[in-house]
Amino acid sequence: MSEQVESLIRKEYSAGFHTNIESETLPPGLNEDVIRFISAKKNEPQWMLDWRLKAFKIWQGMEEPQWAHVKYPKIDFQSISYFSAPKSLADRPKSLDEVDPDLIETYNKLGIPLHEQEMLAGVAVDAVFDSVSVVTTFRGKLEEAGVIFCPISEAVHKYPELIKKYMGSVVPQRDNYYAALNSAVFSDGSFVYIPKGVRCPMELSTYFRINEMNTGQFERTLIIAEEGSHVSYLEGCTAPQRDENQLHAAVVELVAMDNAEIKYSTVQNWYPGDEQGKGGIYNFVTKRGICHTRAKISWTQVETGSAVTWKYPSCILKGDYSIGEFYSVALTNNYQQADTGTKMIHLGKHTKSTIISKGISAGKSQNAYRGLVRMGPTAEGARNYTQCDSLLIGDRCGAHTFPYIESAHPSAVVEHEATTSKVSDDQLFLCQQRGLDAEKAVSMIVNGFCREVFKQLPMEFAVEAGKLLEVSLEGSVG
Amino acid sequence: MFVSDTMLKINDLCAKVEDKEILRQLNLEVKPGEIHAIMGPNGAGKSTLGNVLSGRPGYEATAGHIEFKGQNLLEMDPEIRAREGLFLAFQYPVEIPGVSNMELLKASVDARRAHAGLEEYSAIDFMKMAREACKAVNLDQSFLKRGVNEGFSGGEKKRNEIMQMMLLEPSLCILDETDSGLDIDALQVVANGVNAMRSADRSFIVVTHYQRLLDYIVPDYVHVLANGRIVKSGDKSLALELEAKGYSWLENEAV
Amino acid sequence: MSEFQSHALMLAQQSKGLAWLNDAKQACANLWQAEKWPTRKTEAWRYTSLQSLESTLWSVPSEAQLDGLPDELMALDATRLVFVNGNFSSQFSSELPESLTLFSQASPAEQQAILTKFNQVAKVEKHLFSQLNTAALGEGVFLNLSANQRLEKPVYVVYIHTDTGASDYVGSRLLVSLETSAEAVVIEHFITLSDASPMFNAVTELDIGENAKLKHYRISMESEQSLHLGSVHAALHANSQLTGFTLATGSRLKRIDYHVRHVGSGADLDLQGIYLPKHNQRVDYHTNVEHCVPHCTTNEVFRGVISDTAKAVFNGRIHIHQDAQKTLAEMSNRNLLTSNRAEINTKPELEIYADDVKCAHGATISQLNDESLFYLVSRGISEAEARVMLSFGFVNELVENIAVEDIKVWLRPRMAKAFGQNDDVVRHLIHD
Repeated sequence: MSEQVESLIRKEYSAGFHTNIESETLPPGLNEDVIRFISAKKNEPQWMLDWRLKAFKIWQGMEEPQWAHVKYPKIDFQSISYFSAPKSLADRPKSLDEVDPDLIETYNKLGIPLHEQEMLAGVAVDAVFDSVSVVTTFRGKLEEAGVIFCPISEAVHKYPELIKKYMGSVVPQRDNYYAALNSAVFSDGSFVYIPKGVRCPMELSTYFRINEMNTGQFERTLIIAEEGSHVSYLEGCTAPQRDENQLHAAVVELVAMDNAEIKYSTVQNWYPGDEQGKGGIYNFVTKRGICHTRAKISWTQVETGSAVTWKYPSCILKGDYSIGEFYSVALTNNYQQADTGTKMIHLGKHTKSTIISKGISAGKSQNAYRGLVRMGPTAEGARNYTQCDSLLIGDRCGAHTFPYIESAHPSAVVEHEATTSKVSDDQLFLCQQRGLDAEKAVSMIVNGFCREVFKQLPMEFAVEAGKLLEVSLEGSVG
Repeated sequence: MFVSDTMLKINDLCAKVEDKEILRQLNLEVKPGEIHAIMGPNGAGKSTLGNVLSGRPGYEATAGHIEFKGQNLLEMDPEIRAREGLFLAFQYPVEIPGVSNMELLKASVDARRAHAGLEEYSAIDFMKMAREACKAVNLDQSFLKRGVNEGFSGGEKKRNEIMQMMLLEPSLCILDETDSGLDIDALQVVANGVNAMRSADRSFIVVTHYQRLLDYIVPDYVHVLANGRIVKSGDKSLALELEAKGYSWLENEAV
Repeated sequence: MSEFQSHALMLAQQSKGLAWLNDAKQACANLWQAEKWPTRKTEAWRYTSLQSLESTLWSVPSEAQLDGLPDELMALDATRLVFVNGNFSSQFSSELPESLTLFSQASPAEQQAILTKFNQVAKVEKHLFSQLNTAALGEGVFLNLSANQRLEKPVYVVYIHTDTGASDYVGSRLLVSLETSAEAVVIEHFITLSDASPMFNAVTELDIGENAKLKHYRISMESEQSLHLGSVHAALHANSQLTGFTLATGSRLKRIDYHVRHVGSGADLDLQGIYLPKHNQRVDYHTNVEHCVPHCTTNEVFRGVISDTAKAVFNGRIHIHQDAQKTLAEMSNRNLLTSNRAEINTKPELEIYADDVKCAHGATISQLNDESLFYLVSRGISEAEARVMLSFGFVNELVENIAVEDIKVWLRPRMAKAFGQNDDVVRHLIHD
């Protein structure tokens, strides 16, 4: 491998810094009292507390899964603090002007100036700083359309019937170890409700940020798209540099009723750890959507961050003619490990799913695609097409493909293809011979490799994603 | 074998493909020994006609009547139509690796003969016939042992269709754009095969987009199919006229 | 320990012992005893249950006689070794050339040669049923070719089961060692003569020396009620070549593993497999190809036609180790489901730790192609016959690649009959 590629990979994390906001943080540890504390702090109704406690009981009886192709020291769940909130939040700001200037400064450093973004991109931002929503904008415009977009903690109070009906309906409390944990201690997250027939007037977006030492972050997001509605949701993250591993276990549930469409896009850029593999986020996420008749859920993700990623955004294609899509770019570098992919569960007739996965491994990282395509006995005429490609940059990384394909209906058609290859010195040389510098050449090759996924992203994200890959690979060549 | 003086009689045929109406009250009569050319712009329904006649699933006749040698064609399953002597030379012949050309040929000829109450050819006799047919369409004998159309060039596939036609000795042959994608030599081979098979009790429907084929297979009638029906009929001179003037002047007549 | 696990240890004691193999047998019995019995949560047994091993009193059958050679044998000009219920039948076997030795007749020098090779290619600690096979070992065959030796005739090893009225455990063992530039063709064939339900446990070890070439065929078409746990373990040394072919119809429980390791540069593996379960049968193929060194190639193709309420599993893994640069590896798995209640679970895996490699895998599941079906029907062929022809063609593509003509001739009609309910729909496929 050329030294140029090597140095391109060795790019420091540009979003690494730490903000000083006095936090109200629980001491580490997890027991029923902690859950009661979290619930009380949020002033939750009894039913919500009961739900959390039930999840906690389930979690206690479960074991941490071992099957993923990742290795990390055993997590001591008792050494994690399960609640923190920026102190200045006690008096909730009424407008952006009231937001802690330190926080605003944080976003500025990251290049996400809220005001500007609000104005220029027309995007409503529900910014989460640690565990609690701080600011929500564009509420008015959305309310006009009948769209609800608020912190889930607020929805628990304002829309208890919707929460009771849908929370845990796609990802049950006992679904898996991390989902159960999240159900017990979830901090906050977004709640979105699109009424029947409404096309959400703008892209909804949330920026997450992890800030406190030793703080687990347990977002919970619930999006409900009623019959014939349409919404595009953007999730983006970046985190400051630190030495201690941080656990992140989010749950995202999507419900697409008949003829509804949900597009969920993620750009994930959490701290991946340093060149020695020290530090970085552990990201154990459960994302799943259910599609009713002729509904469509489309997951697009660009993953460049986290030390360990365990994430399988999935679709349950329950309704006839429903559609599930998964477009993913996962880039791992240094000692990062990713085990990510999707599950497409075909139950309805003539359901269709598409999986396009692009894995890029550099440095000493391990990058695995793990996917399940299941054609149930009722999935008449269902179709799946899967393409997973891996690109290797350097000879000490790994690229793995673990597809599980199950079919119990003869008229279901499944096609799976996978390839693995490397950015060859020949390709690099060709680009250089045409006058490009090596860095640009690798960036071009990688971008070309990911094009099919990038074109699925909303415009403003596509730019960010391209930039992100470039940044992640920057310096690895020349 | 049959008494009717009509090979094929199509009355007011309407047909749809995936809920889309393609043929609209099409009428056509073909007598034994005749060659009819069907021409027309792309999307006019030319291929649909061949597919409906041969009974391809997904092509549904919604109204009208088709009489084939005095029988109601639309009531017959596709394999019965074939055994009765209707042959479709495919525009895009399918590749079937693992099943040899010879196996396909013997199975289909056996089926046709059994249907007619005739003795099967012995394996040896049939092999001889197949070799002759190969020669007639200028295909190497090794093609008999190869998978059906597997790895054949475009021209070889079309010649393979003609070879099958020769062995099946059909009474009505439908050639669906058999000329498309053929160079002049291959076109001549195909035409020679067809011409050698012309007889008083065999008819041909030649579906084509180009007049060129008709230099070699001279039709008795030329029909223009546009918007799902025949908008003009004439003799071979019509084909030359179409070549010169294109189709657009006729398309309006169909609406 | 599961019920079967402890029961199987008794089988091991029942088997007639070859004293010089006792250490190896005991070691495997110990491993077996210590194994955590797989459940459906064990990744390697995710789709196949071992339930049907339980609640049966398996026993090692005593010697049985055959009236004559069964018709099911291939007509091959080969050196034939016939085993009946696990016991060698000299009556029906050819005279063995020097290169072939029965374990029970091995001279002390041959015993030594066997012991140095035995369980070297098979990693018994990683393969459950090879442990049992070794622990209960009664007889085995050793094919040993010295450098540049080339066998004139194929070696045809036939494992026959004939009903004894008991639940028979039929173990078999084949050890092949080819030294530098040696060449051989080996055929293993499993046959049942009744509807009884024996359990075959077959282990094959192939040690293919430098520049040596081996063609290995493994045909498993036993009765529906039989059980079959089989494995083929191969080590490919530099520039060697293994051409493998395996065909299995389904049965109550059929699990066949291929473990191939490229241990010398320039080795080449070509592995083709066909599985044809019908009725309520099961077939589970697991293949694992390890590329440990650079410049090796793997081409793996498996196809299955699954009918009625049958279930099939294909789990193919290709593992490219860090040093295995310049590897070329391809794996293809295609499946046809021909009934509403048939099931296939396929898992083509790539695990890659080297960067300068070209690897690809593909998997498809579908039913018969409508276009092809119509093409045949439009030629006057009945739909029933057309379906059989297409199913047959789907797998016959692989059979066509078999280099030994006599195997093809034997296989064609049997494969066709696996698809056809009556002779009428298969007769055009059965010819010379």
